[in-house]
Amino acid sequence: MTALHAELRKLVTLPSLRLTALLTLAATALLAYASAAAGQRSGLGPLGYTQAGFLVFGALAAASEHQGGEQVRATLLSMPRRLPLYGAKTLTLAAVAAPFAAAVAATSTVPAGEAGRAPAATAYLTLTTLLAAAAGTLLRRAEAAVVLLLAGYFVAFPLLRDRWGAALPDTAALDPSRGTAASLAWTACALLAAGAVFHRRDA
Amino acid sequence: MITIDRVSKRRGRTQVLHDVTLEARPGRVTGFLGQNGAGKTSTLRVLLGLDRPQRGTALVCGHRYRDLRRPITVVGALLDGSGAHRARTARAHLRWVAASNGLPAGRVEEVLDVVGLTGDAGKRAGRYSLGMSRRLGLAAALLGDPAVLVLDEPVNGLDPAGIRWMRGFLRAQAAQGRTVLLSSHLMGELAEIADDVVVIHRGRILAQGGLAEVTGAHATLEDAFFALTATETGGAW
Amino acid sequence: MTAFRHAVRAEVRKLLGLPTAWLGLAAGTLLAPAIVLLNAPYTRRAIADGTIADPSDLGLQDLGIGLIGPMVLGVVIVSSEYTSTGPDAPRARQLTATLTAMPGRLRLLAAKAAALILVAAAQAALVATAVLTLTQVLLGGHVPVPAPARIAAAVLYWVLTALLAYAVTLITRNGVVPLTFLIVNSTVVSVSYLLTKVTDLAVYLPDIVGAQMFIRTADFPVRVAPVTAGLVMTGWVAVLLAVGAALFHRRDA
Repeated sequence: MTALHAELRKLVTLPSLRLTALLTLAATALLAYASAAAGQRSGLGPLGYTQAGFLVFGALAAASEHQGGEQVRATLLSMPRRLPLYGAKTLTLAAVAAPFAAAVAATSTVPAGEAGRAPAATAYLTLTTLLAAAAGTLLRRAEAAVVLLLAGYFVAFPLLRDRWGAALPDTAALDPSRGTAASLAWTACALLAAGAVFHRRDA
Repeated sequence: MITIDRVSKRRGRTQVLHDVTLEARPGRVTGFLGQNGAGKTSTLRVLLGLDRPQRGTALVCGHRYRDLRRPITVVGALLDGSGAHRARTARAHLRWVAASNGLPAGRVEEVLDVVGLTGDAGKRAGRYSLGMSRRLGLAAALLGDPAVLVLDEPVNGLDPAGIRWMRGFLRAQAAQGRTVLLSSHLMGELAEIADDVVVIHRGRILAQGGLAEVTGAHATLEDAFFALTATETGGAW
Repeated sequence: MTAFRHAVRAEVRKLLGLPTAWLGLAAGTLLAPAIVLLNAPYTRRAIADGTIADPSDLGLQDLGIGLIGPMVLGVVIVSSEYTSTGPDAPRARQLTATLTAMPGRLRLLAAKAAALILVAAAQAALVATAVLTLTQVLLGGHVPVPAPARIAAAVLYWVLTALLAYAVTLITRNGVVPLTFLIVNSTVVSVSYLLTKVTDLAVYLPDIVGAQMFIRTADFPVRVAPVTAGLVMTGWVAVLLAVGAALFHRRDA
């Protein structure tokens, strides 16, 4: 419980995360307006772009431990049991990301009259945040993790979608019926890999 | 030769430097003494053109730092950390610094040898210990064989052998006619090495002159320092 | 002049010594040719059954996939100056070392721009050669070889994109925000493209107008002549660079 509390405190006091959340929400509202004006009536359309905010959010949250003052040393000195610590980190991030995801999902779907799709979108965005956090933990550098994630989500995956759609982690953003299993599997694998590395690595 | 004339610097609402005036002469080690936050680093950053003062001038050999054509051949500077990007190796860091002032790559190996980092030059700077980072920073400062050395807390993070080496090294540099300005909050250390002392407190210069002159009737430089600053503040701690 | 040459050499060295820059170099160089190769059978079929009515932009169009390269290069050449050097001195940044070695700030920015142009142009020339050769080999009969002026325009677009990323990062001093914004906006259906559906003025946004230097078949509400397009994009880059340079000149390091 104390680990959860400590991790929560660390996350909500990071200014870069608050800024990311704010920019993402603003961009979603702007795009929801723009796509309505352009006559594109899909409540999930804006999310296709602003999920980038969740990729950044997750990567920053995880990499912040390893940048600047190397907070991870302080963390491990006060909470040396690494696997429970990693579990607490993941749970805390999910708890912080979920309301943010719900707000963005609502901003995107409600104006298009598709409020019914908001819960699924919230779940997808939360999973995406966790996947990005796993990448951040593995790479320990926010910038590198962001480049890699965005290169996948915005350059490579769209070009591979026609053939490999059901296996890509982001297909669920457009078509939940086809991509949900892939989203879950990618996130689970990434978290397991990151947890294992975090457990074994010298801090 | 370093001449700083009535430099004032404000950051936000805080006045960090008030009319700072000081001089460091060739062939002498000048110690810049003050507590944490007194304005030592701010003064050196203005001197090196990193920060802009609101008023006043800071000159090295008669020129503003940013007007020097090949600055590292005139001034060698050691500030906080090594200045190397954490993902770069020490050798790669020194190579780009050398290239920026048109110095031959062979110089890099020479200074690595001087500071004793030849064996670790292939490691990334982010993996360096505090002491190694300081040595890397010093190596960069020495690249251009400068006539003036400016060092901010040079012995921080060095082990006793390193401190002893640094003391001998800086004395030898001054003996060769170089100007050495170093800041420190370690008074005993400074008393061992400095010819001249400048005391800064809360952004103001309180005293400057030869070591004996500043120490005056007090038993040690430390006693003199606390006597000077106590009249100003009524006891800092 | 020699001082400037030294500074450019140092900046090229610095850029090529960064792991994140290599991520940009690798992704930007390999992605476009790889996708052209993978998609060749589908593209051939699409030309045959008329889904792609006018194939004259194929090849040049695919260069856009690699734009992540110049974007990463333009961002990290600035953001690397601001990342902390290590755990023991979290306030220390490479910028201190850079300005100590090269204190003339505007000259430093010019040297960085020159280094960036050199690296980005080399990458663009390499990718353009690879993609256009692949297109000719794989789809030869269907796709005409584009005129040299259009290829040059595509290389120019690539270099201007790097400079745009450079200018924006000078303003933000942080790499993640501009990287995210630029890469998200470089997708097939970009935000800028979406905006052209809302207002015709969006045609003059830098990425859209720049593409009109060499793309013929895109569906934009207003056509801009190639030379005008090049001038407008250059104008964007010049204005942003001026703002970035003014801030960099005034701010404490």
